[in-house]
Amino acid sequence: MLRAIRHGLVWASLSVVGAISLYCLYTWHGLNVENATIQQLLSGQDVAVEQVVAKPQIRLARACYLKQKKRYDEALATLSAIMAVGDSALQAKVRYNLGNIYLEQAVVSVENNDTSRAMPLVMLAKQAYRQALALDSQFWDAKYNLEVAMRLLPEMERLDLENEDPKQQKAELWTTVPGFPRGLP
Amino acid sequence: MKILLLFFLVLAGCSNTEHGAVRAFTVHTPRPFGYVLGDEIPQQIILETASDVALQTGALPIKGTINRWLELKQATWEKTEIPDGWRYVIDLNYQVFYVPLEVKMLKIPGFALQLSQQGKISSQPVPDWAFTVAPLRELAVRKDDNGEYMRPDAEPHQIASTNAQIAFGLSASLALAIAGYLAYLYGYFPILNRSNVFKQALRKISRLSKGDIGQILAAVHYAFNQLNGKPLFQVQVADFLSRHPEYAALKVQLEWFFAYSNRYHFGHSLVVIDDDVVRLKNLCQHCRAIERGSR
Repeated sequence: MLRAIRHGLVWASLSVVGAISLYCLYTWHGLNVENATIQQLLSGQDVAVEQVVAKPQIRLARACYLKQKKRYDEALATLSAIMAVGDSALQAKVRYNLGNIYLEQAVVSVENNDTSRAMPLVMLAKQAYRQALALDSQFWDAKYNLEVAMRLLPEMERLDLENEDPKQQKAELWTTVPGFPRGLP
Repeated sequence: MKILLLFFLVLAGCSNTEHGAVRAFTVHTPRPFGYVLGDEIPQQIILETASDVALQTGALPIKGTINRWLELKQATWEKTEIPDGWRYVIDLNYQVFYVPLEVKMLKIPGFALQLSQQGKISSQPVPDWAFTVAPLRELAVRKDDNGEYMRPDAEPHQIASTNAQIAFGLSASLALAIAGYLAYLYGYFPILNRSNVFKQALRKISRLSKGDIGQILAAVHYAFNQLNGKPLFQVQVADFLSRHPEYAALKVQLEWFFAYSNRYHFGHSLVVIDDDVVRLKNLCQHCRAIERGSR
């Protein structure tokens, strides 16, 4: 009788621990698959990602892929969905990448002399970079790109002047250009 | 951790506080140079007041935007009692968002600490603090040789699987251990099972005497049953020895043992003598010797 009880308990323990072990193995395998998906996306191959259930790291990787393919709207939508997900380091990356999308589009607009479109994009980029830096003040890439965005705006303002009245242009140019240039926040 | 430099200000004679209200006032700030966009600048203010003086904490700077290039990220204060007064420690953490075209001196704007003493309000000014910020890149926004003008996207880190690996390792090890124990219970490790049966029997009977003959016989039977994997009876001895030839040398003693056991259990006129016990112990010792491999 005791022997039967003992055997029953050992079998029950084995079943429970075995089930836990299988679950851990399944989880581990799942993580490996997810990491492989991230690598695939980062290497430029598209992978269909379930937006609702996929981990934020995978969605961030897909946003990188979409931006790489110039699919800015989809990348923005992907990043916007994970703004408040994950730890602060991941959130800083999301905001930084968001800023990169805005800044890249702004630079394209500047090169096409479409300053009216570029202005709000630069403002959005600055805002995103500042949010990234608020989350991680040692995020050097965000510092660098925020500086790029801030440098872009005064250049655009000078571009605007070229289309205006020459007299006014001369007067305004002298307020910003001569001497040591002022920094901009 | 940045090296904190002491920026000491004596307020006596230059503040608007009541006489004796403020006993000590110190502002600790880090180095005043070498900052870039996005850096944090901590500032610690230590104020010691008389016991009837209270700091109006509601008038302290609050988290948020100070001006277009300066944010106050954190503002905390702590009040502790000291002999005949209070000590306030105010921690402020600023973040700079200024992009200079060259190294430029900026100032964190000062403010006034409001103190109340017996219904009167006085103030202790915290002065401006000057520091320099430097640019991170050259003036022009332009592409480099690779056509890049900005830092690339931040890629996500690999998702850590260490915890899952450890959990799997531990649970699998435990499962294997339990499975091993189960196999042992079912006799799948005959070497393990066999190795101790006569040792245990010997240990059990070593202190028993002829008055305990029933227990002695039971212990020896139990050992043979364990070794056989099922109950062993007299008629099966030959079969047992064919499967365990190492015990063949003990055939005579084994037959005597089973015959004796039968007489004890089923006979009516068995008189147990000391020599019987000695023979049983000898049998067990021989079996133990074979079990250990020494015979």
